[in-house]
Amino acid sequence: MRNAAPALFLAAFLLSCSRTPQRSLTIAVNAGVEGTALKAAAKEWGEANHARIEVVELPYANLFEKEQLDLTSRTGAYDVIMLDDPWFPRMAADLARLPRDPDSDFVSTCLEVCRNPYKTGAYLALPYVGNAQLFFYRKDLFEKYRLAAPKTWDDVLVAAKKIGEGEKMYGYVMRAAPGNAVVADFMPLLWAFGGGVMEGNRAVCNSPPAVEALRFMLELGKYSPPGYAGFNADEVSAHLLQGTAAMSINWPAWIAAMDDPAKSKVVGKIEFSQMPGERDPGVGELGAWLVAVPAGSKHAADAFDFIYWATEPAQMKQAALKGNPPTRRSIFQSPDLMAKFRSYPAQLASLESARPRPRTAEWNEIENSFGIYLSKANDGAMDPRAALNAAADSIQKILERNESATHP
Amino acid sequence: MNRRRIPEGFPWVLPSLVVLLALSIYPLIYSVKLAAADRRNFTRLFTDRLFLTASIQTIWLTLSALSIEFLLGLALALLIDSLARGRMFFRTALLIPMLLPPVVAAVAWRLIYNPQFGVLNGTLRRLGFHTADLTWTSGESSALASVILVDVWEWTPFLFLLLSAGLQAIPPEPLEAARVDGAGAWRIFRDVTLPLLKPTIVLALLLRTMDLVRIFDQIFILTQGGPGTATETVSLYIYRTAFRFSNFGYAAAMSFVLLAATLLFSRGLLRAMRAR
Amino acid sequence: MKRTRAGWYEAARKAAALVPYLAAVAAVFIALAPVYWLLTISLKREVDQFAYPPQWIGFTATLEHYRDAFAGGSFAAYFENSVLLAAISTLAALAIGVPAAYGLARFEWPRQWDHRIGDWILSTRMLPPIVTIVPLFLMLRQARLLNSLTGLAIVYTGFNLPFVVWMMRGFFEEVPKEIEEAAMLDGESRAGALLRIVLPLVRPGLAATAVFCLVVAWNEFLFALILTQTEAAMTLPVGIASRVTQYEIKWGAMSAAGVVAMIPVLVFAAAAQKYLVRGLSLGAVKG
Repeated sequence: MRNAAPALFLAAFLLSCSRTPQRSLTIAVNAGVEGTALKAAAKEWGEANHARIEVVELPYANLFEKEQLDLTSRTGAYDVIMLDDPWFPRMAADLARLPRDPDSDFVSTCLEVCRNPYKTGAYLALPYVGNAQLFFYRKDLFEKYRLAAPKTWDDVLVAAKKIGEGEKMYGYVMRAAPGNAVVADFMPLLWAFGGGVMEGNRAVCNSPPAVEALRFMLELGKYSPPGYAGFNADEVSAHLLQGTAAMSINWPAWIAAMDDPAKSKVVGKIEFSQMPGERDPGVGELGAWLVAVPAGSKHAADAFDFIYWATEPAQMKQAALKGNPPTRRSIFQSPDLMAKFRSYPAQLASLESARPRPRTAEWNEIENSFGIYLSKANDGAMDPRAALNAAADSIQKILERNESATHP
Repeated sequence: MNRRRIPEGFPWVLPSLVVLLALSIYPLIYSVKLAAADRRNFTRLFTDRLFLTASIQTIWLTLSALSIEFLLGLALALLIDSLARGRMFFRTALLIPMLLPPVVAAVAWRLIYNPQFGVLNGTLRRLGFHTADLTWTSGESSALASVILVDVWEWTPFLFLLLSAGLQAIPPEPLEAARVDGAGAWRIFRDVTLPLLKPTIVLALLLRTMDLVRIFDQIFILTQGGPGTATETVSLYIYRTAFRFSNFGYAAAMSFVLLAATLLFSRGLLRAMRAR
Repeated sequence: MKRTRAGWYEAARKAAALVPYLAAVAAVFIALAPVYWLLTISLKREVDQFAYPPQWIGFTATLEHYRDAFAGGSFAAYFENSVLLAAISTLAALAIGVPAAYGLARFEWPRQWDHRIGDWILSTRMLPPIVTIVPLFLMLRQARLLNSLTGLAIVYTGFNLPFVVWMMRGFFEEVPKEIEEAAMLDGESRAGALLRIVLPLVRPGLAATAVFCLVVAWNEFLFALILTQTEAAMTLPVGIASRVTQYEIKWGAMSAAGVVAMIPVLVFAAAAQKYLVRGLSLGAVKG
């Protein structure tokens, strides 16, 4: 019996030696609808290539933190990461350069945010989820009140009033919770009125057009459900789905739910269109999710293999069938998908004209500050001009502290 | 002969000292290096409005939670102590909230607090209350109070436990004497029980304060510091500065302020514990 | 008439005697209701989780969330990590801390050094974790111990150690010196005396300390959040937190994991009931 121990040790040693190093890939994805498609693709790739796949799913904020930490300290924990395009400027310095430039089937606005410097530099990521804001409105109610499809924000306001009063519902609903929510809903308005957040290294979010845009937002707020200053995507979509609100800005991810009888009371009644304009043509905010390989990854070859594979037309089509907004023009224009998703033409148009958020490594901090003041204004706690002045002040301080980069 | 002899117990203690030096003191020194890398980190402490807000919110949360937990804990201790039977059962049952992983407690309360689907608003609605404005952790003005409530639920048992033990430790003679003298229950409590309980009370308050000042887990799960910065305490602001804005130097500088506050309390705590 | 009045007084007195019990029961209900609710959410079908009015009992139970989380998801790995971590760090903390506590309690120390060292050790427990987390992250990365159970175990040992020393010192001081002295006169070494004679005497204290360390390691969140990156080392609390997303909350998986995370703690509490209350209160109050 005493000889058993050495024998066991020997066996264990031999066993561990004979195991061939297995191919493996660790992927960090967003724990939400955006990450589902990539997760499925990863599992498929893993099976086809006899590789062990580990998927780390994290909620938005924590995904950013974990990826940031891994990238800047080059720990090599993740081989493929999913990133929201506003994160790109900050992460670019630690991403591995793509071995081959992507082809031109990709929508150009999506490709532009994958380059550092913006639009002109080397490619460091591939676009996977083609998200651009759309304008959702109740086509049936517009027809009932003989309103033309809204082309400007003034149209929206008029319609909100008419429909709200006539139907005893809320004409408009928006996300105004502090942070990413309110900023996402404000940017289209800001841009439509001709305003901007930053110019070079200067904060210009308190310019006269910007103040006008914010005042307009508060006007729209009068036709929105009470408490909207705390709303996020859940609440906005709930109001649309339940038929208690008539219009909103929204993301393509919610389109499927609108036509799903299990979730929606307004199946087939919502139209998805381009963002209304005002002084400037309407543009939706770009919110593409990219896939990239950290410079510190220990399995870079496999990682690149995977992301090129996942963004191939055949794979993207599979993902699109499951509800993932694609980033390739050919898929948006493929007949069978257009038959299945009636919103595709609008989505493609929106994506092609979408505008990304300012390209700065400090966007996180800036959005945070900006969001606090915008929400306060919508809450009635601060006057719009004062709120924007305070925001500009705060953003200026952030920029000066960090001396950051270019913006669109 | 009797000069610098190493105390006999020293080798027994040495491994612990080495481990703690490596894991607590060295990181502290490292932190100083991180913070001092940029002199502006320290001046920013005074002009940063967000740091000021976080500090005020931390102080407010600490004072509110502490006073409620203390009063409730004392009441529970007196109550359970007065029961003739089942004390052990009640004590164990009441301990459960504080034994849970704080993350689990926070998750449970997040479910409860959800304005649309949570059981709190659901039950209130059933009882006829108007719940549209009751946003609990999602509303800017109610978020901090909601967080305090969770802390009270979770940690009142801790104060209950300590005060209970303190009550048990009170010798029966002074109480008997007072009763024989004809004093009423309130007089006995105020003039006999409370003074004898004071050391325990001080201990409990200091221990809890130190934990409250650095509160993190529950708030991280419940609100992540939001909405906006409504529930952002110093710990959360430091966390955000370090891991979201990647500013390790400034985060280190702020953490020293937190450390200083904790040291103040810990000195008082050590003195109180030694005084027993 | 005398009988009725006496009867009323009796009844009133009996009722009054019940009030404290009712209050205690109410307190227990408040303490346990959220826990119970979490349990029901983990067992309800998704459509029932959001039902109005809220169903406390009488819903159809399902184990799908547990299946999804543990069989299909990564929670089995998180659970394993948490168990290993708690066990290893507790053993290590005891192995290093018990001798230290003994050393401080038993030997002669010049000029109050034993108190000074004791205080110093205890004060490290009072360091807010957020102060040391970034340096520890960088240190572990240097040592290639990031995202590993070993690295995390070392960190956990570090912060259970002060508590072990503090608690056990109190218990050792309760044991009369004569007992070891008698054994050493019989030829026993100091270490042997500790192991064979003294430790058995402080078994309740040791148990309480061990349970406390296990619970602290099991519940810990911040260090695990930052120092782990993948399934290889992520613990249960981190796994639970990662299910709380921005737009939708995966209530089923989250609550199932939460319930599982609660169970060991509750089992310990039940098993170590006597020791726990005594140990926690003694340790805390004794000082």
